Amino acid sequence: MPHESVHTVQSYDQELEQLRSLVNKMGGLVERQVAQAITAVVEHDEVAALDAPEMDPQVDELERETEALVIRLLALRAPMAGDLREVVTALKISGDLERIGDCAASIARRAMRNELLACPISLTGLHSMGRLVQENLRRTIDAMDQRDPELARIVWHSDTAVDELYVSMFRELVTYMMEDPRNIGPCAHLLFIAKNLERIGDHATNISERVYYAVTGNILPIVRPRGKTFD
Amino acid sequence: MNNITMDRTTGADSTVPALAIRNLDFWYGSNHALKGVSLDFPTRQVTGMIGPSGCGKSTLLRILNRMYDLYPGQRATGEVMFDGCNILAPGLDVNVLRSRIGMVFQKPTPFPMSIYDNIAFGVRLHERLSRTDMDQRVESVLRRVALWNEVKDRLNASAAALSGGQQQRLCIARTIATRPEVILLDEPTSALDPISTARIEELLDELKQEFSIAIVTHNLQQAARCADRVAFFYMGTLVEVDTADKMFTAPQAKRTQDYITGRFG
Repeated sequence: MPHESVHTVQSYDQELEQLRSLVNKMGGLVERQVAQAITAVVEHDEVAALDAPEMDPQVDELERETEALVIRLLALRAPMAGDLREVVTALKISGDLERIGDCAASIARRAMRNELLACPISLTGLHSMGRLVQENLRRTIDAMDQRDPELARIVWHSDTAVDELYVSMFRELVTYMMEDPRNIGPCAHLLFIAKNLERIGDHATNISERVYYAVTGNILPIVRPRGKTFD
Repeated sequence: MNNITMDRTTGADSTVPALAIRNLDFWYGSNHALKGVSLDFPTRQVTGMIGPSGCGKSTLLRILNRMYDLYPGQRATGEVMFDGCNILAPGLDVNVLRSRIGMVFQKPTPFPMSIYDNIAFGVRLHERLSRTDMDQRVESVLRRVALWNEVKDRLNASAAALSGGQQQRLCIARTIATRPEVILLDEPTSALDPISTARIEELLDELKQEFSIAIVTHNLQQAARCADRVAFFYMGTLVEVDTADKMFTAPQAKRTQDYITGRFG
């Protein structure tokens, strides 16, 4: 709900604005981190592989700042209604963003491992999964930035495709490992990378749920339509 | 039932609201202060009323025990059902009504008499009690408002010697001494410090086991802390009423949202 009206106490508005800008900054940083991580894996890009983990301390610092501001706002402003939802949501979102950053760093750290560089296995599956996750994350952050519940709901639904891609990658990689034990090393790394991408998708989903709640005051249904599972 | 009596038949069924307001309009002379208000006060719950100054919330409270009767030119139309009768009906025995619907004001208003007599005074108007029974009544209500230990050694001292918070608790004790079913509180803590305020709030929590409570407050945090249901008034109309939880996390009306978050008023 876009607030056309302003608070009677203007410094309150400034603090809320500061909170929004912190979370947005964090979103932008994490988005770049994920992009670099995927580039590192798919294009064997050494610079990108180093870049993504290096952004981690910055993300952590932003999370701490967000936390401190949220606690301050709760204690001093006692936010209510839409403000309360926004403040609490900012805290939760910053947690999800920080986790996404960790996943991205973990992906990037595996990217330049020799097993992967020499790996004969095609990275096409990983490539498309990476693109999809990146796209979902971008739209999630847009939904957050624009306080757009409809966009948040759409992204929330589209994580199903990520789950499905993950399941098919899992099967593919297990098949390679069964074919030739020499594939086990690189495939295990690829599996972890795929799992991290899938997790990033889950965190993005959480963020969409929270954006939807912050803006509308309603909670999306607990059970999200899921992709195929292993069983 | 045509007129209100001292027989208490309310409260047995907690699904029946203690007070039910239907299409209530109120005028101060030509000033239309309340417009078409319909609102229930559930039995043994705290109903909070919030809104900017002049929105009609105190007016509503004053209607519920016919306080406005005291002033010429003030009139109400509509219906306020209490124990099967419309309390707005002419000829209603307001003394009985006010013993069954008690009121506590913003500023403590102890009578200029002893602590003991402040409580006994109202009881004597409605009941004949032996000295022992009266002593018991005084002690039990003072205990209920957690004032007993502070005043038991000076019951004959003037109530004016008590602190503001103690005076307000005495006023609540005085109100419950006549065993009403509904207690109306008009900003009962706005003149009190935070500790006395917390004591009154704790008391409300305890009193709602037995009484239905309506509280007008300017302090939104207080409404959030004390009330089960909260009604928001604006310019004489009831904008929204819901559980406190819903009102303070996700109100439906834009006006409620703006008021609660401090965007106007």
